[in-house]
Amino acid sequence: MKISFTINGENQIVDVDGETPLLWVIRDGLDLKGTKYGCGKAACGACTIHVEGNAVRSCSYPVKMAEGKNIITIEGLSTGNNLHPVQQAWKEEVVPQCGYCQPGFMMATAAMLSDIPKPTDKDIDQNIINICRCATYYRMRKAIHRAAEIQSQSPSL
Amino acid sequence: MANNENREKSKGLRRRKFLKYSGVGMGLMLGGVWAARNYSRRYFFDLVETMVPTYIGDTSPLVWIQISPENKVIIHSSKVEMGQGTFTSIAQIVAEELEVDMDQIEVTHAATDTGNIDGFGTGGSLSIAGLWKPLSEMAATMRLMLSNEAAARLGVSVSQLNLENGKISAGGSTITYGEIVAGVTEWSFPDTPKLKKRSDYKYVGKPVPRVDLHDKVIGAPIFGIDAEYPDMVYASVVRSRLVDASMSNFDTSAAEKMPGVLRVVNENGFVGVIANSFFEADNARHKIKFDYTTNKVWNLSDINEKIKVGNGKKTIFQKEGKAVDDIDEEGEIIEMEFSSPIGAHAQLEPNGAVAYYQNGKVELKLSTQVVDFTRKEVASALGIDKNDVNVIPTFLGGGFGRRLHTPHAVQVALMSKAVGKPVKCFFDRKQEFQNDTFRPPSHHIMKAKISESGALLGIEHQLASGDTMFNSALVPSLSATFLRADVGSIRGGAIMYDNIPEIRASYYHSDLPFATSFWRSLGLLANAFAIESFLDEIAIRTKQDPIELRLKYLSDNNPYSVRIKNVIKACAEKAGYREGIVDGKAMGFASTIDMGSPCAQVAEVSIEEGRIKVHKVTVAFDCGVAVNPDQVRAQVEGCVCMGLSASLYEKMDLKDNKLHPVNYGAYRIAMMRDVPKEIDTVLIQGTDIPGPVGEPPLGPIAAAINNAVRRLIDKRLTSLPLDIS
Amino acid sequence: MFSFITLGLANYSLIVKQPHSTIDILSSDEISSDDPNAEKSFDMMMEVLMHKRCVNCHPAGDTPLQGEDSHLHNFGIVRGEDGHGLAGYTCGTCHQEENNKISGVPGAPEWAVAPAEMVWEGKSRVEIATQMMDPARNGGRTPEEIEKHLTEHELVLWAWEPGIDAEGMPREKPPVPVDEYITAVKNWIHAGAIIPAQ
Repeated sequence: MKISFTINGENQIVDVDGETPLLWVIRDGLDLKGTKYGCGKAACGACTIHVEGNAVRSCSYPVKMAEGKNIITIEGLSTGNNLHPVQQAWKEEVVPQCGYCQPGFMMATAAMLSDIPKPTDKDIDQNIINICRCATYYRMRKAIHRAAEIQSQSPSL
Repeated sequence: MANNENREKSKGLRRRKFLKYSGVGMGLMLGGVWAARNYSRRYFFDLVETMVPTYIGDTSPLVWIQISPENKVIIHSSKVEMGQGTFTSIAQIVAEELEVDMDQIEVTHAATDTGNIDGFGTGGSLSIAGLWKPLSEMAATMRLMLSNEAAARLGVSVSQLNLENGKISAGGSTITYGEIVAGVTEWSFPDTPKLKKRSDYKYVGKPVPRVDLHDKVIGAPIFGIDAEYPDMVYASVVRSRLVDASMSNFDTSAAEKMPGVLRVVNENGFVGVIANSFFEADNARHKIKFDYTTNKVWNLSDINEKIKVGNGKKTIFQKEGKAVDDIDEEGEIIEMEFSSPIGAHAQLEPNGAVAYYQNGKVELKLSTQVVDFTRKEVASALGIDKNDVNVIPTFLGGGFGRRLHTPHAVQVALMSKAVGKPVKCFFDRKQEFQNDTFRPPSHHIMKAKISESGALLGIEHQLASGDTMFNSALVPSLSATFLRADVGSIRGGAIMYDNIPEIRASYYHSDLPFATSFWRSLGLLANAFAIESFLDEIAIRTKQDPIELRLKYLSDNNPYSVRIKNVIKACAEKAGYREGIVDGKAMGFASTIDMGSPCAQVAEVSIEEGRIKVHKVTVAFDCGVAVNPDQVRAQVEGCVCMGLSASLYEKMDLKDNKLHPVNYGAYRIAMMRDVPKEIDTVLIQGTDIPGPVGEPPLGPIAAAINNAVRRLIDKRLTSLPLDIS
Repeated sequence: MFSFITLGLANYSLIVKQPHSTIDILSSDEISSDDPNAEKSFDMMMEVLMHKRCVNCHPAGDTPLQGEDSHLHNFGIVRGEDGHGLAGYTCGTCHQEENNKISGVPGAPEWAVAPAEMVWEGKSRVEIATQMMDPARNGGRTPEEIEKHLTEHELVLWAWEPGIDAEGMPREKPPVPVDEYITAVKNWIHAGAIIPAQ
């Protein structure tokens, strides 16, 4: 089945079984490895991408549904050499430990910040529900507040 | 710099240094110590509690440090990076002694072909502690080697040289390390020079940003599951859903007909589907039919019956005085039971490997904590020489002890051999949960005698658990015979309060019908929960301040007790420890020592909507020299939150031989909303060398939370996860 | 001509088939005897509507229920302002317009949590039915609109094609087959949407 969509600003056409989870199309078909497999059952969030600006767990999203959609992965969160405010903040606060779950968290955070530019701690608690086994949550929270700050200072974003 | 000729020369150097550095710790494993086994057994147990780490791998600068003509310093690390920050500390140590800038350094996982082999693996919180001296010396030696060369070229003496940021200058001329290296074909090795003065440190002791930070925020393909080869195919292997059961009568006919399937292998003790994509391989794998033959029916109640003090093989691992029952002085005996559940690793990156078998040799890319053992295991299974197996380790998406044995690597190598192509094969999440090497459950009986005046006359800890080490490849079964007790399960189980007149600790070992092995800090989590909850209860009943109680029973006579006391005092002060409930919150205190690094914590807790809520944790931690204080803090924070998760939420169940839950969510792990809003860490330097960091801060948290809850609900909870419903 | 007939029919239904006020509760004795199926229809309809497949998304709190044991949805999911979740995640982050066989995540068009006015969990069938027919609490719907919602909306009908869970186990369907349920709903509404005393 041929499915066409835009991913990180580029048009792509893939020819695969339409039921293939978008996660595998992204990782193996398009060689974008930043989006991760953690559970395959939409439980952990490591596979989080943006579809039409909304957070979507790509392990539970058949590629046939991507037809005509605008998709962003962690690789597309930055523009050129400029990291997204979330990524900048993640670096400032030195959030990652093993790093495996981090792209999913950054994608979920970016989605939240586009709707809630100044999240409270309660907003963060309620909105960010991915799983981090290294438990870097403590620094993530600081980074999210910092990302909100950076974002508010960057009119172009 | 790492060309073959120099590698040959350096092997001689390596051998000499290996013997020098191998130390007594690993020497214990050699047969000659058999005769002194009782003494050695005690020594090894002491070693676990108060470890002086040694590094047993290669210590040749030429194997570790490569300098490119462009003046980049590439460190080939035999220790793997799983988030614990080892790569960054390694870079700092090398930058310091080699006089290069952090930006010049790239740390990479050493493929076994480089010759940088570490037979021990990465674990036990021993990497930086063990590498500190040898790596400093390697870098300093290389600096001197470069200096000698530069001095010769520039026609000056070494003392006239100025070294900075990878450049050497004298009398107006400058030459880079890269330029020096490009011109040398044969190196001579000087004696190890003196190391830098601590007061001159530029990098060590500084909160340098992680060297892998950028890659991890852009989603670079650095993990095992990201590894690839051109023309690679994908596989999915049938793994047991049941414990204590065998699989047989495989019918793979339907699987073979599925789209994209190249081959179904059913040999060498496993069945796997190889296909053009993971999706196709996995779909086909689900079509394979087979039978289970259960040896015995197992439910959780059977496990709980088995893991009980009094059952199994007993070993006394601490004997400093009488048993509590034999104490003559009048007093009251207090006894309490504690328990902890089966714990899953649940690391985010599943296990697996990418293997390419060609012409009788194999190359593997995978996340492993035992690079050399993976190599040997694959070589042995394939009947080839270990030097024909090249293992290229990748960044691990979580280790926690899960990857201290990688038998699946053998399967992937065999499948590659079968199809003649590179093969990628990973567990799915359900397979991870049902084939984990779990943290074994534990049962404890704490017993103490209190005099009429409230003095602690004696204390006993009896502990029952399963293997942590013996079911792992890392420690061969020789040690089961030799040591009798599982050194991992008893970790943290000895009583560190050396002023208590009579102390005993014993361990009851039982075999379990499912794989158990290392889970971050091994027995420490459960043992510290029991001991520190018990001591807190004693403090309450004898109306003593829990902190004063700890300090009273720690002497000034051994170096560890003094360090522990300093950590306890620092923690209590920083936390402003107080009794009672203020604004609905109570405080709980606990202190431990693990692998020689003391840690104390105060948890500030309330009950909200029927749930235990941890607001703040104050930590005092002494790991000696903190090579990277920011990353030490990160490890403390991670341990506190992971320990909180195990204390409040995590447990595995077993029903009709089926381990469950099999996914996140149902196996509840702490999320953003569950962790404290504040973690306040005080770092104390109690010695002048770096000590273990990655696991010790897991010690106090369970009891610290439990002790706070004790004050909130006026009831002592005794099993993990804590349940106040 | 056509419009006259329609108007006439409408008047007929208003005059002849005018339901009792939607919040009137009649005892079973008072149900019109020319509609012997009305009460049975109500029973059948409520058996379905009180099944976990429906109640799971009409929770008493902010968190939907999940699974055969109706536990609180994992990960602390909340309905948010409009029943579609929050900003960091929406229902659509995981749930799509159809069931996912591979992940075991259920799906249907407009997957969402019912609004807070439509809490069903813990309520009796009379309370639920009453609430359901009350325009102040049912999103301003007329009985006809309720009938359409209950018999045609894909999210409602999903209950009979609920897919398999993450373990590959089929989800339990409501105890009444879908076509009988649809007939029961229509019967009950057309008979006046009479809610018995209990």
